[in-house]
Amino acid sequence: MNTAVTNANPYIPFPSEILDVVKHTQKEYTFRMKFEGEVRPGQFFEVSVPKFGEAPISVSGIGKDYVDLTIRRVGRVTNEVFEHYKGQSLLLRGPYGNGFDIDLYKEGETVVVAGGTGVSPVRGVIEALSTMDNAKDKYAIAGFRSPDDMLFRDDLARWKDRLNLILTVDRAPEGYEGNVGLVTKFIADLPLRDPSSAKAVVVGPPPMMKFTIIELQKKGFKDENITVSYERKMCCGLGKCGHCRVNSTYICLDGPVFNYTEGKLLMD
Amino acid sequence: MGELDINVVKLKKNAFRVSKVRGETASRIRIPGGVIDAKSMQKIVEIAEKYGTGTIDITNRQGIEIPGIKLEDVDKVNAEVQSVIDALHINQTERGKGFPSSGTRNIEACPGKRLCPFGNYDTTAMAQRIEQMVFPNDRHVKIACTGCSNDCAKVRFADFGIIGMTEPQYNPDRCVTCEQCVNYCKKRSVGALSVVNGKIVRDTDKCIGCGVCVHYCPTRAWTRSKEHYFRLVLLGRTGKKNPRLAEDFIKWCDEESIMKIIHNAYAYIEEYIDPNAVEHKEHIGYIVDRTGFEKFKEYILKDVTLGPKAEVAKTMYWGGKHYDQYGG
Amino acid sequence: MGYVLTQSGFSELVKSLESQYRIFAPVLKKGAGRHLDTDVVLYDFVKSAEEIELEHKSDYAFKEALLPMSETLFFFTEQQTKEADLDERPVLVFLRSCDLHALKRLDDIYLRNGKEIDPFYKRRRDLLHFVLIGCPHAFENCFCVDMGSNLTKDGYVFSIDSAEEGEDTVYRFEVPDASFNTFFEGAGGTKADVQHTYVTETKTRVRVPEEVPQAVMKDALWDEYTQRCIGCGRCNFVCPTCTCFTMQDVYYTDNGRVGERRRVEASCMVDGFTNVAGGGQYRKTKGERMRFKVLHKISDHKKRFGENMCVGCGRCDDVCPEYISYSHIINKVYDASEKVLQAKNAEGGEENE
Repeated sequence: MNTAVTNANPYIPFPSEILDVVKHTQKEYTFRMKFEGEVRPGQFFEVSVPKFGEAPISVSGIGKDYVDLTIRRVGRVTNEVFEHYKGQSLLLRGPYGNGFDIDLYKEGETVVVAGGTGVSPVRGVIEALSTMDNAKDKYAIAGFRSPDDMLFRDDLARWKDRLNLILTVDRAPEGYEGNVGLVTKFIADLPLRDPSSAKAVVVGPPPMMKFTIIELQKKGFKDENITVSYERKMCCGLGKCGHCRVNSTYICLDGPVFNYTEGKLLMD
Repeated sequence: MGELDINVVKLKKNAFRVSKVRGETASRIRIPGGVIDAKSMQKIVEIAEKYGTGTIDITNRQGIEIPGIKLEDVDKVNAEVQSVIDALHINQTERGKGFPSSGTRNIEACPGKRLCPFGNYDTTAMAQRIEQMVFPNDRHVKIACTGCSNDCAKVRFADFGIIGMTEPQYNPDRCVTCEQCVNYCKKRSVGALSVVNGKIVRDTDKCIGCGVCVHYCPTRAWTRSKEHYFRLVLLGRTGKKNPRLAEDFIKWCDEESIMKIIHNAYAYIEEYIDPNAVEHKEHIGYIVDRTGFEKFKEYILKDVTLGPKAEVAKTMYWGGKHYDQYGG
Repeated sequence: MGYVLTQSGFSELVKSLESQYRIFAPVLKKGAGRHLDTDVVLYDFVKSAEEIELEHKSDYAFKEALLPMSETLFFFTEQQTKEADLDERPVLVFLRSCDLHALKRLDDIYLRNGKEIDPFYKRRRDLLHFVLIGCPHAFENCFCVDMGSNLTKDGYVFSIDSAEEGEDTVYRFEVPDASFNTFFEGAGGTKADVQHTYVTETKTRVRVPEEVPQAVMKDALWDEYTQRCIGCGRCNFVCPTCTCFTMQDVYYTDNGRVGERRRVEASCMVDGFTNVAGGGQYRKTKGERMRFKVLHKISDHKKRFGENMCVGCGRCDDVCPEYISYSHIINKVYDASEKVLQAKNAEGGEENE
């Protein structure tokens, strides 16, 4: 049980067992949910949270029989999840959306820039990059608000040894030894051989994405080599409810992952 | 001018003012419910130009005064004003002789449902109905009708203030929980609405029946009750001794009961008015101050059958400043 | 092919239809309007001919047959879900030509957008048959002719037109679906050659741009709506082509594991439509929301499905409490689009020289 039941009715959720819970910060937890089926990083599930309702949560990790869902304790919907622990189950629908195509980042230099919970949808991408033979050509810039807000500490430690990881925080208490500053600060100095052919993945809050892309363009990145993932309100995940539509694009169907040549036209 | 020999009591009872300018008077025309037809207005303009100073005074209680009329022209003005009296259906004892006035004041009304999007009843029609019932009358009573709880007619300055109410009817099947009713009720009214399980719950104790929820509902989930309801507030007043706001007497009252209550109030005055009052006038509020509210309540509720929703105040207290007791 | 019925014949007809179909039709609800003693025409199930409002355009749309304002989708316990029951009798929906065109837009979203068909929509859709109400004249804000939705060739089982003739009201029915003939025969109908009436010109006119350049999205024309629009969403709720909804979970118990899931109609003009976890919100100003809505109706839907979403029924203009005219906005967008294109052409021309 607890596998993806192909339901005649796509609105009907299926119960999925909570296999494990990792607490990252006071606010962020990763729930390892039993799930067997095809999933890509960047896709999302609609998670039914008792007493509160559904929320779209992006996949932050993928295993043979599980998916990781990192849930931030913000908003009405997501507080309640934290009351539940291993062995219980949650109702899920999904996966929805297109997700990232890892194959795009196999060759050459790749830079992943992620901010805050934006690290969740690209965690799978960074993980994949870190295991590639040419991992020395792969860069990841991960930014968090403060040292206390850091997600995936174990992963960060592991990635640091395998690819070029720049970990930064917007602000830190005195005496903090790591990088302090916005992710955009580190783009200009990336020691890339050929920025014009390098690939980039950008995920995070809208202002962070905007300024990161400007920096990448300044560095010499081409729009067609930049991939973005957009966050929107998604009630159904099926292209019906209309909340995630931007112009003629439905983020839940056509996204949330876009090539920037397309993504830049999505004006709200 | 030396020949003037005027019975000013009669003059005043004939709806003319005694002016501070010797030899002059002002013709007073009450406009029940504040609505006058344009033709009558034209007539008033004509009289003002012909007999007055060419100015018209809009009174505080929705009446008109034509100042600067010579006392010797009173009969002529009375003859000319006849068409206005006919058009306004003002109570009259003898045609061509003006109308009896003084005592009960013009029945005021805000525009009500005829114009106002928030109006919960036809205030003008009700004012006119009350006018027909109580006039002519020497007793000092002020009555005012306002369409909703905004109280634009300032009925809380009146002895009988009639505030329109609607009982909001909720159809959960048409509700999309946009929460505009909740927000507008909070911002523009009393905050009687809340969301429970995706639907709206109305706190019936808190609700004042203003109709804001109905007004702002974009889906017709909220509509008005077929029945019109009223909040009857009592015995507000301005004046020298103890100005105060009218207090709630009956919430969710019906029109017929209000008519009966007002009718009874006049009978109460006849029984309890101070026979030695100056100019035989005693404002109803001060009579109640003397007899006590219980006596008054008992009297005015005689033969009144209130509807099942009506809530009658058990006791009533008025505030305001008591210059008569504590000095100014 | 068709029939003519008298008033009593029409009553008979509805009575007999009602024995086999549920009838969903515009109904004039006395006193149910926004203000005291104002009425509203909205859709409801009716039992008799007298309840059906044929004269006035409905204020709210027929879409409630497919997308009720509030609909329970399913009930859930910890491990089980059960779809809400649905009355499975077939339904006759009385609507106008613009509405029948709107149906296709609803189908676009619920049956053709994405790979999933919406089962809650489809199960209602499959029960519907349509009765076309003729339009002998356009109403105040109609602009169906410019949107190409004044003509309807198929998709209805019969049409209905009523006309005062002397003292009587006469009802004319064009009946393309011969299986309905028995109902008309039964009601004492006289056979006649009937064609439904339709509108050929409207007082309100719109010029819809072939293409809206991206630059128009940033045009200053939208700014005034930030001031004027109150974001009430009436324009969406009455629109026959607005399809958005929001999911609601309702819990019966304290543990939050037993309850029902509903969907309610949603409006892109109302606060909260784009709210994401953590307080993020897109299109904060009413002007941006107006742009989003209008361009969806006359451009974005067309890019995806080949036809403009708007059918020109004018209900949004009828209902707007702030007297905002959507048809005026279309014309403003047309002018702004033309201006951008002309500027572009002028630039291109210079380059060629």
